[in-house]
Amino acid sequence: MTIDARHHSPAGGLDVQPAVALRVAGLRVWYERRQVLDGIELAIPDKRITALIGPSGSGKSSLLRCLNRLNDEIAGFRMEGQVLLGEVDVAAGGTDVQELRRRVGMVFQRPNPFPLSVHDNVAYGLRLLGLRRGAELERRVEAALHAAGLWDEVADRLDGSALELSFGQQQRLVIARAIAVEPEVLLLDEPASALDPAATLHLEELLRTLAQRYTLVLVTHNMQQAARMADYAAFLDAGRIVEFGATDSLFTNPRERLTEDFITGRHR
Amino acid sequence: MSGRRGDAAGTWLLGGLAATAVAAMLAFGAYVLASGFGAFWPARVVELGLRDGSRVLGEVVGGDARAIALRGSERLRAGDAYLRIARADIVAQSWPSEVVAILHADGRRTFMRGDAVASDDSAVEATRPNALSLPARLGLSLARAARFIATAPEAGGVGGGVLPALAGTLTLVLLTSLFVMPVGIGAAAFLHLRRGPAVRIVRAAIDTLAGVPSIVYGVVGLGLLVHGLGGSLDRVLHADRLAVPTWGAGGLLWAALTMALLTLPVVVISVEEGLQRIPESLRGGSLALGATREETLWRMSLPAARPAVLTGLVLAITRTCGAVAPLMLVGVVELAPALPLDGTFPYLHPARQFMHLGFSVHTAALASTDAIRGVPHAYACAALLVVVAITLNLVAIVLRNRLRERYRELGT
Repeated sequence: MTIDARHHSPAGGLDVQPAVALRVAGLRVWYERRQVLDGIELAIPDKRITALIGPSGSGKSSLLRCLNRLNDEIAGFRMEGQVLLGEVDVAAGGTDVQELRRRVGMVFQRPNPFPLSVHDNVAYGLRLLGLRRGAELERRVEAALHAAGLWDEVADRLDGSALELSFGQQQRLVIARAIAVEPEVLLLDEPASALDPAATLHLEELLRTLAQRYTLVLVTHNMQQAARMADYAAFLDAGRIVEFGATDSLFTNPRERLTEDFITGRHR
Repeated sequence: MSGRRGDAAGTWLLGGLAATAVAAMLAFGAYVLASGFGAFWPARVVELGLRDGSRVLGEVVGGDARAIALRGSERLRAGDAYLRIARADIVAQSWPSEVVAILHADGRRTFMRGDAVASDDSAVEATRPNALSLPARLGLSLARAARFIATAPEAGGVGGGVLPALAGTLTLVLLTSLFVMPVGIGAAAFLHLRRGPAVRIVRAAIDTLAGVPSIVYGVVGLGLLVHGLGGSLDRVLHADRLAVPTWGAGGLLWAALTMALLTLPVVVISVEEGLQRIPESLRGGSLALGATREETLWRMSLPAARPAVLTGLVLAITRTCGAVAPLMLVGVVELAPALPLDGTFPYLHPARQFMHLGFSVHTAALASTDAIRGVPHAYACAALLVVVAITLNLVAIVLRNRLRERYRELGT
């Protein structure tokens, strides 16, 4: 499925079709013998926020983890189909997974800073790239913390443990950690579900800012959040994409009965 | 209601058991330390007037209903003046304050009336034990304890100090730790990274090794390291003068390797458990940044598991301080001619035999010809060994707690 022509871009009301950052075609996924995704077709627009919504167990997180091959770590995982990131087929066997994960960063449900200092958390990915120390490393660490809106809060405690930060700060720290290596896509798996309302608001503002530079794919259970944040939304149910389109029209004028039932809370 | 009463009884039972454990531990520690320190306490000197008109000076070291055991002045060598004096023969008993007790450099003690003190070059300590105040006794005990730690033993074994044994214990602990920690961490990392039957076999082998009695390690060390490896080294390096083995005899290196083998299982198990406690979300976070499984292990998991690594080190140190049986087979001696660590190149002498506080306890308590001196000496060695082990462990524990404090929210 391509971006549907009937849905117009909500961003600033412009009718310009954004480029496609990630194109998923015919994706099917199994854990052991259980099929969790079937025939997924999705074109994720570049430098926009795309929300994946749907009931628990619909395959949102599985789909998200296909995009950076994090499912590979699960025994019994198998996938078929295509996930194109530019010219690279993410799903192909010979793909350099490490290189792929540097281009497609990820933020998890619960903040998962490493038990290292604030600085070393952000420097982690850069050091993997061979940037050991020196001015360049410091510059990029600082830039990432600025971009994550965290610099002012941690500038005086870069060498303190990351675990001493608040939950909201930790979640922005792992975002800084992810964007320090300049990915193209940022996957967010319910990133605000462990945060209080104030921290959630802060995070949402940050994500809107980041969408100017990165392609964001956001899994969320919170319909208001999806409506507030996302430019595009895909509704998944039972491992299939029921509907995909611009958030405005999907939420105000869904084409499918299933979608309408879900977003109005009548789903099953 | 009955269930609630049962709970209360269970709480009392557990509390009682815990209190018993704590009391036993405190009593043990107090007994060892008090007995050890008691070895340095200056004894009072008694003067006995006997029926035949003679007088005897000495320290009471025992006795029964019919006789008193006395250590008189040792004129020739330590231990030559134990006297058994029938109570019936004693007509007078006093503790004259002017009595002087002299400790000679060779461990002998002599006693004399104050007016008869002659200048004696061999005296290391001359006191009036009956005239000492309590603070003075305490000060003298501390001075003796310091001399005990800082000097070498006398030929007899029970006089003098334990500096070589202390140095030997510390050197052995250091070398063993240097051997066992890298190998143990590496093995734990291997077990953590790999899956499959090979890993299950290695893990089963390590669990089994952890349960092998320590003396078996001594035998293996003797056969494999001392005679096998050491003997081969001698044949290759010193074939022209094989009369005295250099490597083919027990020594520091073989002892440290044996102890490394002995402590390897506990280090591996401890480090691996630490690695397993690291939340899956952290590993996922590292992988999602493009790290390989190996990079994740070295850069994130192992640094985060440092408390567990230090726990392994604590266990290794404790066992190295305590397991004397295997050491007796691979290089510990009662009296070593030279320290394994000294000022001559190459400073550390891995082929040398060495002394160990644990073995000093054994020889002082069991193998000494002077049991009356030997037993307090054994207590003093044991107390020092406990102090050494606790000090080394405290360093590691403080370090570990500091790391835990830093990472306390890990895994929430």
